[in-house]
Amino acid sequence: MFFGVLAEVTGTTFLNYTGVKTLSDLRQRITDRHPEIVHYNYRIAVNNLFTDDDCTLSDGDEVAFLPPFAGG
Amino acid sequence: MHKFLSEGPLTAEQLSRLMSLMKDRSDTGGHSLFIGQVRADIVNNKSVTAIEYSAYESMVNDEAESIIAQIRTEFSDVKTVEILHSTGIVKAGEVSLAVMVSAGHRQQAIQACSKTVELIKERLPVWKKELLEDNSHIWRENRG
Repeated sequence: MFFGVLAEVTGTTFLNYTGVKTLSDLRQRITDRHPEIVHYNYRIAVNNLFTDDDCTLSDGDEVAFLPPFAGG
Repeated sequence: MHKFLSEGPLTAEQLSRLMSLMKDRSDTGGHSLFIGQVRADIVNNKSVTAIEYSAYESMVNDEAESIIAQIRTEFSDVKTVEILHSTGIVKAGEVSLAVMVSAGHRQQAIQACSKTVELIKERLPVWKKELLEDNSHIWRENRG
């Protein structure tokens, strides 16, 4: 899932991937598809929890690419 | 939509409802209310006409609950914390955030309300796109 400016630069709010085992693999696939994303700051949350690239992924996991927050 | 988010600007009726929640609490002596409003800032010599808010709803729920738990732990006199944040388009001059903290005494109500607003800015997964008068826009980040 993409939010904020990342939804704008990728042109989508949601992509579905299968067979991706780790977060680093997913990040690479996303970067290959949308190379412009490397120019933006963001964190990644898996199932609503921030995590790092060696996180393993399972079917049904929700991965969110989150730019810096701007609430309030 | 979850109770922490509301589509469009917050209305006087919504703010009034927040204030009415505490009317039967006899252990509460003070309420502190923060209302956030969209300001017509000047960006690149152009006026902000509105802000379009977007949010990661499920994570907003988790983080808002976590913020409330933290506030109630840090401020033992706090009875309740209410948070309501807009999504969608809110025009300059309209209200986009309401935070109300109720406590036994005024000091903690005021301090906890201020802390809650700062935690919202730091931790709530909400994004704002400032819409400018020439129909361009700019994404705004919170600083500090």
